[in-house]
Amino acid sequence: MRLLTIPRNGPEISDAIISFDPETLERKPVTKAEVIREFISLGNETAARIVEKIPERGGTLDPDTVDRLLITAHCELQRMSEEFQHGQRVAELLMPLLNALRSSGIEKPIRIVDIGCGTGFVVRWLVANGSLGKDVELIGADYNAALIREAKRLAEIERLPCSFVVANAFRLDHPAAIYISTGILHHFRGQGLIELFKQHNREETRAFVHFDFQPSPLAPLGSWLFHAVRMREPLSRHDGVLSAVRAHKSRDLLEAAKTAAPDFVSAIYGTRLWGLPIPRVFHTLVGIRPDYRKGFLEYMGNRIASLGLME
Amino acid sequence: MILLVLWALATVDAAFIGYREAAGRSALINKRAYYRNAMTRGALFGQIAVVIAGITITLLILLSSEPAKLVDELQAAGSRMLIVYVPYTLFIFLAVALRAVPSVDLQSIASVLIFGPFTFIRPIIVVAGVVWGFLAAPNLATLLLGVIILTLMLGLGRVIGKFRVNKIIS
Repeated sequence: MRLLTIPRNGPEISDAIISFDPETLERKPVTKAEVIREFISLGNETAARIVEKIPERGGTLDPDTVDRLLITAHCELQRMSEEFQHGQRVAELLMPLLNALRSSGIEKPIRIVDIGCGTGFVVRWLVANGSLGKDVELIGADYNAALIREAKRLAEIERLPCSFVVANAFRLDHPAAIYISTGILHHFRGQGLIELFKQHNREETRAFVHFDFQPSPLAPLGSWLFHAVRMREPLSRHDGVLSAVRAHKSRDLLEAAKTAAPDFVSAIYGTRLWGLPIPRVFHTLVGIRPDYRKGFLEYMGNRIASLGLME
Repeated sequence: MILLVLWALATVDAAFIGYREAAGRSALINKRAYYRNAMTRGALFGQIAVVIAGITITLLILLSSEPAKLVDELQAAGSRMLIVYVPYTLFIFLAVALRAVPSVDLQSIASVLIFGPFTFIRPIIVVAGVVWGFLAAPNLATLLLGVIILTLMLGLGRVIGKFRVNKIIS
């Protein structure tokens, strides 16, 4: 129950216990005492206690333990994604986007890059279910080498033709036509969110689809309940609840996208269930080049009712 | 009949325990066989619990000075337990049926409104059923049986978890 009182400010534990050089992507040691001190100064005793239990090596958090912990947390997170049919949701929104791009004669293959893919659930699901078509290339990118190794291992076991790279998703040799992400937007605050959206401003990029938690009065309680019954790792429970607590509002996401990526028309998809005043767990920021807007809206079919004004 | 229904409910519950214990541990995409095995394993572990409860009941009846009366009391307790457990199970089956509908929203609603909250309140339902049954015939025998059933129902997941920790199951 203590999780319900987590302070809204401050990082998630999974952000705080690992650090990378943004230029070289080299992993940097994380001083355990500093992380604990930070959480205590933010009034987040729960997070401090969880970090306290992570073994250290010469004062820094043991990287192997941290990797194992994050892989476990991603595995538990995948269970939630499966329960809420997230793979299907992503596919249902990507299909009209892809059809709009195809009908305009876009160069093949159409490259989709999943930003911060973790262990690559979305990419692997899309490939395993073959729902997007053979002219689509799916790549997962993440800073965390351990998560990428795990994504590759899992893809190999199931012989799934997709790639995973330790990289900044926006600095790949071949940029994406469509960038997608799940649950990463709330990790970026203020100017950080603007900078993230600015990265979409490259010629090759035609669209982006970002799924994230939707804030609502019931979201923290619902998130707490689900994480309490579905997650085993205290880190998963903590970060899951905090994600719901500090999720961005739809209008804030839209405003940031319009400010930072003005060459795209953007809208929020799926805020309400069947048009009723029932909020969905996730909402989706969709952006597309104006040239493809008409085609996208046509291919959306009945789903267009769940799409906000795209401008 | 009451015993038969209780056995069926215990088996279904144990199968779901097996599922929950396995969930979130495999990150593969295609997990049908994995979950089928997990539910079968749970149901089989449930049979061990049923046998333990059955042995306890048999011993209680054999050791009772009034076995016929005790059988009546246990039946009364069992039928009251069903009043609690059957509606709960029907809601779970409703959620399972909703999950079969090919709509991501309906499937999510099944999770949000039934699977999640009902998993959360399961320990309360387990205790409520046993207490309600005990109140039909409050005596030492039903108390002892109630405690054993509670321990089995609430501890089964942990037992399966121990097997996994010790790498007896994977």
